[in-house]
Amino acid sequence: MEIRLIGLTKKFDGDKKKNIPDTIAVNNFTVTIKDGELIGLLGPSGCGKSTTLYMIAGLKEPTSGEIWFDDEDVTHLAPEKRGIGLVFQNYALYPHMTVYKNVAFPLTNLRVEENKKDFKLMSYDLILKILENPKEVNEAILESALNGKVTKVGAVRVLCEKYHCSKYIAANLFNACVHGDEEAYIKKSNESIKARLTRYKEKGISLNDKFELLSKPIEKESNELKFLLIANTVLEKRKEMLLLVKDTDEIVINNLIQKFNCSNSIAKKVLKIIRKSTKETEYEINKKKYSEQYCNLLAKYKNHGFIVKNGFILKKDASTMKIVRRLTKDEIDSMVREAARLVQIQDYLDRKPSELSGGQQQRVAIARALVKKPKVLLLDEPLSNLDARLRLQTREEIRRIQKETGITTIFVTHDQEEAMSICDDIVVMKNGLVMEKDHPQEVYKDPNCLFVAKFLGTPPINVFKGRIEDGFIWIGDEKITKTTKKIENKDIFIGIRPEGFLMADEASESKKCLTLNVTQILTMGRDLSLVCNHKDFCGENIKIIVDSDLDVKIGDVKFAIRPNKIYVFDAKTEERIMF
Amino acid sequence: MESKNNWKAWLYLAPALILMAVFTFYPLINTFFISFLKNYDYRSGANDGFTFDNYGIVLGLVEKIPGIAESKVTSFVQYALPNTLIITFVTVPVSVILALVIAIGLNNIKWCQKIFQTIFFMPYVTNIIAIGMVFSVIFSNNGIFNNLFGISGTQWISVGASWGNSMFVLCLYIIWSALPYKILIFTSGLQGIDKQYYEAAKIDSTSKFKTALKITIPLLSPQILYITITSFIGAFKEYNAVIGLFNRSYTSSGNVNDLYTVVYFIYDQLNGNNPQMQIAAAGAVVLFAIIMVFTVVQMWISKKKVHY
Repeated sequence: MEIRLIGLTKKFDGDKKKNIPDTIAVNNFTVTIKDGELIGLLGPSGCGKSTTLYMIAGLKEPTSGEIWFDDEDVTHLAPEKRGIGLVFQNYALYPHMTVYKNVAFPLTNLRVEENKKDFKLMSYDLILKILENPKEVNEAILESALNGKVTKVGAVRVLCEKYHCSKYIAANLFNACVHGDEEAYIKKSNESIKARLTRYKEKGISLNDKFELLSKPIEKESNELKFLLIANTVLEKRKEMLLLVKDTDEIVINNLIQKFNCSNSIAKKVLKIIRKSTKETEYEINKKKYSEQYCNLLAKYKNHGFIVKNGFILKKDASTMKIVRRLTKDEIDSMVREAARLVQIQDYLDRKPSELSGGQQQRVAIARALVKKPKVLLLDEPLSNLDARLRLQTREEIRRIQKETGITTIFVTHDQEEAMSICDDIVVMKNGLVMEKDHPQEVYKDPNCLFVAKFLGTPPINVFKGRIEDGFIWIGDEKITKTTKKIENKDIFIGIRPEGFLMADEASESKKCLTLNVTQILTMGRDLSLVCNHKDFCGENIKIIVDSDLDVKIGDVKFAIRPNKIYVFDAKTEERIMF
Repeated sequence: MESKNNWKAWLYLAPALILMAVFTFYPLINTFFISFLKNYDYRSGANDGFTFDNYGIVLGLVEKIPGIAESKVTSFVQYALPNTLIITFVTVPVSVILALVIAIGLNNIKWCQKIFQTIFFMPYVTNIIAIGMVFSVIFSNNGIFNNLFGISGTQWISVGASWGNSMFVLCLYIIWSALPYKILIFTSGLQGIDKQYYEAAKIDSTSKFKTALKITIPLLSPQILYITITSFIGAFKEYNAVIGLFNRSYTSSGNVNDLYTVVYFIYDQLNGNNPQMQIAAAGAVVLFAIIMVFTVVQMWISKKKVHY
């Protein structure tokens, strides 16, 4: 589902008495998220990314702005009606429920409208199909043995896995097979099926191959329609009508009954109308009125799936019966198992959340959000509670799950690496404002302001104070590069990515380089990490990554700079200057 | 290291331990001991040796004066114990459920929450005897209650009122005075529940009632257990409510103590010129045993139902 946020703003009121100003947590947030995308809201803490998420979820009311899901304005819709799944930062798993119950909980509230089905017959059908090969079932049961003992619980779990069925069906399979009397079970099932089918037949209900109930066909006469049809026909031609009215009531009624083959009461009603319609004006009014009524009634029946024959006979073919209902235990069970399989927590379903590791809890939380098949999945810093290794693993997991389900996902994080690695698009935020939205690599390669440049990348970008003078970019008294465009002289910030430094070749362009004072050399295997100083540097230490083959010594070193790793920003507005 | 510093811990504990030994442990053990003494005289400590008769007398099995059937004490089994059980099994569930509903309600309203909390907490700081007097005015023959329901003249607590009416008012009174503390505990417990559970439930379109039933109550179960056990114990020990409301142990004059509770019975044994200390002690031990059994049962149930 496509999500459109238009001018979304959230203001927290301050307190005038205590001189606390209003806080604008989210300011004019306008972003469109395409269907099936994984988007990351990225920013430092307090930038309003979680507030944005909660507004999309509906747990916080926006001060102004609109939220659209596809073509529906959901700005003021209650959260439960938005069809979203939300994973909280600390998961908010219900501690008193097992994992199974946690995941099943959303489903117990769900109401679905669908075709009426006979689930008993469905499960009989499935069981009988599986029992066509009883050997396989028996083998599965024997395989489930733990310490040489077959338990019902264990066997049911294995059978659920194997046949992707609910545990009730699995229990039936187990009961049938473990006593070795599959034949008897099959016979009994067939009898039950027959009994059910005859009961349906008696009621005139049939079933299709999906076990959906079909109502019996209807064909009946509608007196109302017939009356309106006759009235319309009579009213159509005024001259004939006036001829008809000349006679006495009795004769007219008899005429009508003969002509239209209708009942006495209908004829009487029609007569009344004709008598009232003798004058020109009233005739016109009545003619219009009854033809309208006729059309309306026809439309009404058509909407209910009726076909109108001869103008007054209603006919309806056998059709599926609709029902709004809660999910059955069977359905809930299979949906829980499906979600559990997706996030690979099948083995922990009977445990309490407190007995799980952080990563497992997180997957349970995702399963709980996914189980009701939401249109949008919202994740609020889902990885912040995990250790480094698990974080890496889980974020790939999230990506995998998102790809598999194709759900539009919004993911809030303050970890730029996390966002860059798995998101289709990232939105960088600062103080409630959207700084930039683009593909992660684009944002990294082509930041449009100093903040975005500083926020992305590890080690962070190195920012120097500098100036543009006479068509050159200067840091201190060293020329870094030439500007291609004509730009007036001004103070600037120069950002250079850590990987943008090259060892300056003495012979070649010795003029266009930057001299840094290397104070520390850290060997990191593939790369060398250099810690340097420079008087115009904004911050503590300059961090540079160079190839480990290079021979670097402590002290002043001249570096050439890759032109595509230099970013120039206005010193005042911090906007990017293309040079 | 640990054992070396032990004496310090004991030293700090000593004042409390000594006081408890003198005023709690010794009386406890002594009560148990006295309950087995025959014809115990509390002034001199004289007695006629060990016997189980005191329990027999309390339970109405043995005559107080051997050979005289009329001297059997039947009021414990006939009145004290049934009354206590009725009070317990009516007031505790009703007040716990009521307190839970009120606490959840208080927690959900935003408007005037503090004022309502104060109102509901008022009975707690009011003297139980004073409340008893107010109740006796409300339920007097021409009181508000009778006027309100147009049943003027119905006797509720005056001498001559039926036992049922008296018990009804008594239970009402106990429930009302028991509510505030429970509400306080529940409200503080509710505030400790993470709001995110409710947000999660809201997103999953859980109804208010289901949220209370499936999330709030299970998460509040430690407090509910605590309140249930303490109020069970309190209800078994009910005595001052009867004094506060009736100031007597009978509904109609005639020497039938049909408003006895177990503790009232125990107190009455100590009354008069010839206090029956050993019978009171036996009664106390019986009460102790009953409370013990109920508490153990509750703890056993709670192991399955309470989520910490």
